[in-house]
Amino acid sequence: MKIVFDNVDKSFGIIHALKDISFKIDQGDFVFIVGHSGAGKSTILKLILNQLKPTSGQILINDIDIVKGTKDQINQIRRKIGVIFQDYQLIFDKSVEENIALILDIVSYPKEKIQERIDEVINQVGLESRRFLFPSQLSGGELQRAALARSLAIKPEVILADEPTGNLDPENSWNLVKLLKDINQKNKTTIIMTTHNYEIVEALGKRKIEIVNGEIKKDPTKTSKKIIYSSKKHEHA
Amino acid sequence: MSTLKTTWHHIRRSPFQSFTAILVMIFSFLVISVFIVVNFGLSGVLTYFETKPEITLFIKDGLDTNTIDNIQKDLSSYSGIKEIKYISKDKALEIYKQENKDNPMLTEMVTASILPASFEVTVSNPNTLEQIYQNYAARNDVIDEVIYQKDIINSLLDWTNIIRRTGIAVTLVISFISFFTIFIIVGMKITNRKEEIRISRLLGASHLYVKKPFLLEGLFYGIFGSLIGSIITFSFVIVLRQSINSFFQPVEFISYDTSFYALMLVSEVLLGAFIGLLASWIGAKRYIKF
Repeated sequence: MKIVFDNVDKSFGIIHALKDISFKIDQGDFVFIVGHSGAGKSTILKLILNQLKPTSGQILINDIDIVKGTKDQINQIRRKIGVIFQDYQLIFDKSVEENIALILDIVSYPKEKIQERIDEVINQVGLESRRFLFPSQLSGGELQRAALARSLAIKPEVILADEPTGNLDPENSWNLVKLLKDINQKNKTTIIMTTHNYEIVEALGKRKIEIVNGEIKKDPTKTSKKIIYSSKKHEHA
Repeated sequence: MSTLKTTWHHIRRSPFQSFTAILVMIFSFLVISVFIVVNFGLSGVLTYFETKPEITLFIKDGLDTNTIDNIQKDLSSYSGIKEIKYISKDKALEIYKQENKDNPMLTEMVTASILPASFEVTVSNPNTLEQIYQNYAARNDVIDEVIYQKDIINSLLDWTNIIRRTGIAVTLVISFISFFTIFIIVGMKITNRKEEIRISRLLGASHLYVKKPFLLEGLFYGIFGSLIGSIITFSFVIVLRQSINSFFQPVEFISYDTSFYALMLVSEVLLGAFIGLLASWIGAKRYIKF
């Protein structure tokens, strides 16, 4: 899944959350979006998910302008994205297993294989003993792993992880990041992770887009508007 | 997770709201069923009287056979005539004797010559009686007297209309109450599950996907409520049928025909399903905004 931000601005009333954001992320990339709290990191993820609409600019996902895309196109794109929300966004009255079953049902995963897939991802994140518990019965780390299991279940093309280590101790944080790195390497799943844990970012040595006050301060592969357009033109040809 | 499972989960998670919706539907269909049964019963009574009404034309003595035949032919030409019975003097005496067989004094003193011959006309349309009355009441050359219980017929006709109109009004009002109850309860449930709907939408669920469990829930309330309401009514009707019918004899106030109840049950369940589905569909359209 290819994601292109082209001069994207996002305002909330008089607050200018994002200013002139342009970047391109290709399939299989592992990208950190770093910055202080309130810099606009989560807003970028919400824009990718079409949870928010940009004030101006264009967001292309697999060459589809998601602002102008149909509801069906947006649903199709969302079904290819695994999301780990900052506040987990698990359904409170469904068990871990039921939360995973829900997303598999949404993506029309074959019914007879749903249980098998649930078992796989629950084992992958080490929640075997917690599978029948409800979100309110889980610790912060377990909630994070449950959210990860849900996002992995659909074998996504992209994983959006919004501060996934925010509520975890250092050991669990490293375990989670290692797991994401493995998934990225084995399945060529694109990982976009927001964090302000610079230690993890530096240790992994992956691409880092740094946001300061809603603007890109540093992006080692910064893509100018001209490059994005020439890339688009080339691919269409 | 199938839609049915999600629907059942929603019903179980807010049992009091679900119970209220079902209870209102049961009560509504209890009242509707009772009204339909009573309405059919009364219609039967009215139909009995409507088809029974007779006008009796007492003819003058000494008329020749031709004149009597002409009167009969003329009566036959009216629309909605069910039966024209000519009661000769001798037949009249026979009837008189039969009716007073326990009182020999009365029968001994009466002979056929003092009893008038008559025509008893039975119609299927009571309006015809009025026309016959208007035409024959003034014909003193051939008619001695016309007996027509006009007021009773008119009163019966008025009651028929009132009962039918009231029935339609009551059914409409109760259907509206059921509709709004389900609409409000489904709306409350959607509001309670706003977060779940929002998360599901972010995970790629279509609008129909998140709507479907609520539509099924409304459908369930409609079908289940109407089924229970109708079954309760029919149970009472079957238990009380014998004594009610004996009160209204010879009219069969409550039908013994099983197919009548089967048809009524199917119609009411369909009406319940329609109300439930429509209310939940409008509720989902109104409350699911994301």
